[in-house]
Amino acid sequence: MSVPARSAARRWLGEVVAVFVKDWRAELRTRHALHTLLLFSLTTLLTVSTALGPLGVSPSERVGVLPALLWIILLFAAAAGLPRSFVHEEETHTAIALRLAATPSAVFCGKTLFCASLLAGVELILVPLYVAMMQLSIASAGGLVVALAMGGLGLAIASTLLAAIAAQAQGRAALFPILAFPLLLPLLLLAIELTRGAVEGVMPDAVLVNLVLYDATMAVAGLMLFPLVWNP
Amino acid sequence: MPHDRGSNRLEFRGLVRSFGRVAVLDGVGGAVDGGSVLRVVGPNGSGKSTLLRCLAALVRPQAGIIRLVEDGREIDPAARRRRVGYVAPDLAFYEPLTAAENLDFFSRLRGVSPERSGVLLGTLGIPPQRAAGALSSGMRQRLRWAWALLDRPRLLLLDEPFQNLDAAGEAATRVLLLDHLASGGMAVVATPTPLELPHVAVSLDLSQPSAMAGAA
Repeated sequence: MSVPARSAARRWLGEVVAVFVKDWRAELRTRHALHTLLLFSLTTLLTVSTALGPLGVSPSERVGVLPALLWIILLFAAAAGLPRSFVHEEETHTAIALRLAATPSAVFCGKTLFCASLLAGVELILVPLYVAMMQLSIASAGGLVVALAMGGLGLAIASTLLAAIAAQAQGRAALFPILAFPLLLPLLLLAIELTRGAVEGVMPDAVLVNLVLYDATMAVAGLMLFPLVWNP
Repeated sequence: MPHDRGSNRLEFRGLVRSFGRVAVLDGVGGAVDGGSVLRVVGPNGSGKSTLLRCLAALVRPQAGIIRLVEDGREIDPAARRRRVGYVAPDLAFYEPLTAAENLDFFSRLRGVSPERSGVLLGTLGIPPQRAAGALSSGMRQRLRWAWALLDRPRLLLLDEPFQNLDAAGEAATRVLLLDHLASGGMAVVATPTPLELPHVAVSLDLSQPSAMAGAA
């Protein structure tokens, strides 16, 4: 890599880190997204565990039902908390300064990293509680970590791009779920299948490959589409 | 570092922009060279802010040409967005962050040394540790000026630049504007009321149809 290219890459990386750090700093002072995500997931977890609980789902049905329920909780928590990162920038007019100062791809990557780390934090609290409360035995803990990491990453990338699109529209609150659910459906099916594999201790390699491909496709599509969405 | 005045120029012709059926800009044109000011006047709703947003590449004009030359090099629209200094009422900062944290963040994005933001905060008398959300409207306006001047842009786009400023704030920002012009920078200043400005080369009255800039 030539010296100017290396310097441009270092500067771009600096912008990504700056956006990521800024979002976390603002989040830790207001805790809007954190509270939304945590309260939503914990409330849903309590509802699910009370209604279905270990006694509500027979051991033979657990492998089929519980991974799906876990990802539904994560999906709705993400839909409630993650779009804020862009909608808030537009509503408070900080998007103007950000547009005038940052490279669009750096904004996209910084915000995706923020969403992914936020979701990872929620998974870290929610999943052990879910496993304990639903008495779900996991045959492959490593497989579960991979499923949560790859599924969470895909959810963060897709949510960031969709939030950026929804933030430009008038009916922001309604647009995100309308755009999100068809796009996130393949991701959810793959993540549920992979989590099921982790519970049974048989990791389906083809599903993992498809999930990695989904994440990579969303990342490339995001990097290509985001500048068009972000800039007029 | 002073720039060569002759090698900086902003030129725009035939700018058209409408929102729905309302034509806000209809064939607007003008130009400004290094060291001088283009004053844009007109009543509320005449398109001053829209013109500045077009020049900042925040809004795409439906027709017309905008050409920015810096140090003899023409700047493309995507790069123009990141090279202008912009002060406008709709420019806002992150309220949970302090004034210093806001400027540090934008310094990192624009590749400017953090010392520069400290100098500007001091010059403009902005309390660095106060949250941006807790700043008065006058202090917010000073913060907009500090933000606009962070990376010493060649082109300043100023929409009602002295709004909400007290006498000390206006004096400090006028000194910064004079320094900017003395170093070969350009400025486009939009104002709804008559305003005394230094080095005004041309004036553009947007209340006239198909307005073209004329001698001040």
